[in-house]
Amino acid sequence: MNTLRYLTQSPADLFWPGVLTLFWPGVLTLLIVTAICSLLSVVVVLKRMAFVGQGVSHAGFGGVGVAAALGVATSTPATLAIVLAFCLASAFLIAALSRRRDTKPDTAIGIVLVGAMALGSVLLHLAHEWYPTERVPGWEGILFGSILFSGWADAMWSAGVASGILALATWFRRPVVAWAFDESAAEAMGVRVGTVRTLVLILVTLAIVLAMKLVGVVLATALLVLPGATALALSDRWRAVLTLSMLVGLLGAASGIVISFEADWPSGASVVLALVAIYAAARGVRAVSGRR
Amino acid sequence: MHPEPATDIAIDIRDVSFAYARPGAEPLVALERVSIQVRAGERLGILGPNGGGKSTLLKLMLGLLTPQSGSISICSRSARDARRARLVGYVAQRVEAELTFPISAREAVLMAIELGTPPWTGRSRASRDLAADCLERVGAEALADRPIGSLSGGQLQRVMIARALGRRPRVLLMDEPTVGIDPSGQQRFGELVARLRAELGLTIVIVSHDVRAIAAGCDRVACLSRTLHYHDAPAGLTPAVLAEVFKHDLAAVFGDVHMDAHRAAECDAKDHAHTHGPGCTHDHHANPHASPRGDGA
Repeated sequence: MNTLRYLTQSPADLFWPGVLTLFWPGVLTLLIVTAICSLLSVVVVLKRMAFVGQGVSHAGFGGVGVAAALGVATSTPATLAIVLAFCLASAFLIAALSRRRDTKPDTAIGIVLVGAMALGSVLLHLAHEWYPTERVPGWEGILFGSILFSGWADAMWSAGVASGILALATWFRRPVVAWAFDESAAEAMGVRVGTVRTLVLILVTLAIVLAMKLVGVVLATALLVLPGATALALSDRWRAVLTLSMLVGLLGAASGIVISFEADWPSGASVVLALVAIYAAARGVRAVSGRR
Repeated sequence: MHPEPATDIAIDIRDVSFAYARPGAEPLVALERVSIQVRAGERLGILGPNGGGKSTLLKLMLGLLTPQSGSISICSRSARDARRARLVGYVAQRVEAELTFPISAREAVLMAIELGTPPWTGRSRASRDLAADCLERVGAEALADRPIGSLSGGQLQRVMIARALGRRPRVLLMDEPTVGIDPSGQQRFGELVARLRAELGLTIVIVSHDVRAIAAGCDRVACLSRTLHYHDAPAGLTPAVLAEVFKHDLAAVFGDVHMDAHRAAECDAKDHAHTHGPGCTHDHHANPHASPRGDGA
């Protein structure tokens, strides 16, 4: 960030070619990913899937470990595909374990989360022994991400995947909302609840993988929880909640970038802290307005 | 919505058996050779203890489970086809809905109406009118704009019934509809069920473990505890029948009796004095000799 600050003495400098390449792709990617995560976060919060998201995002660490052990260069579509496949497999493993009568959902998530983290740790250790250091991603980057390492290709990728998520969520909005409101009644009304559950799990996993590169595996779920939780604290109208969630997410992302730039803090953590602050303010507004 | 002649059989359950498979153990038999016929426009109450097979029978009627033997037909179709053809409306137990959901009562009804409509269509005038009509039928038109989480138990129940009516069903299945509702609410529920039958010609099945809820507004009662123990008018529901069905779970028969302690004590006292004489200190609430219609429903 220091370099960027050095380069930009005035707002007009933000459009200087060097800054354009370094700064804007990451910001644009962050805004796209935050918008789609914010939309999904309403369902994630209402269906109490936050911990599932946490399990899936941490499983991404295992995916990065697998990619590193296979010698796949970092920040390539192949790495993204491996991480996505690993996260999806983990999401379905959590779902399968949770359906067993002898395993509670939080236990299933806990097992998959620590298993994937441990596997990723071992594989990254081995990759460091097998390959040159520059081919193996660093711990800090995986855990906390980096917005400024995104290029225009990442922005295009993110826009494509986010458009796909948005299209699917719009197309299936009615069964998804009915499932989220009352699963038994939805099933009785002809909704294939198993299919809807799988679809939502896939959409959430896709969003997590997009967010992971920006804010890291540790903080990825923040984008899938905080905007929705904040919007639900502010309104009890469905459309207002969806709109507020998107606005809160974008506001958190934008203010996080500014904080990161001004204070020279890590970008992902700054965005998450901004979202936490907005959530706390929303709870304060709710308390003052007397809403329970 | 779809009135039918009163002589038709709307629900035909014949010799139905169902057992849940258990890995490494004998299958758990939930229902054994159960046969029940429900005429169109009839109100049937299904009464039984927890684990007696009521919910299993409900799932079979909804086509969510398939009987291992026997058959179920609803409006002359298989249960699954009837559900897909929107002939069956379902009111789930209140606790199963996510009450923090940011929707109004009207939106909850519209959600059911619009389910299955093409995804590229928006909200139509016809859907709005139908939602308003359904809410009016259950006397909840004034609640239309209220958030779903702000409704009382009785109000929420009416909205959930309006939601089921939004599918324009011929058969309405209700699972434990009076749980958490006070005695006056239960009485209003009975009146509502009677009105829906009269106005819409609906066939209504109410599943409950609470004899008061069943007796309040049903033409016939089926007592179920794995097998069918009784299938006739509520008036014939004697303490002996209830004792046979509920075994040692007789306290459950009288459900939320603690909420209606005064009225329960009144009706129990008659039998109690008759059976044990004055001065006896037995717990009236669990008295198996209390009249099943003791709440005056």
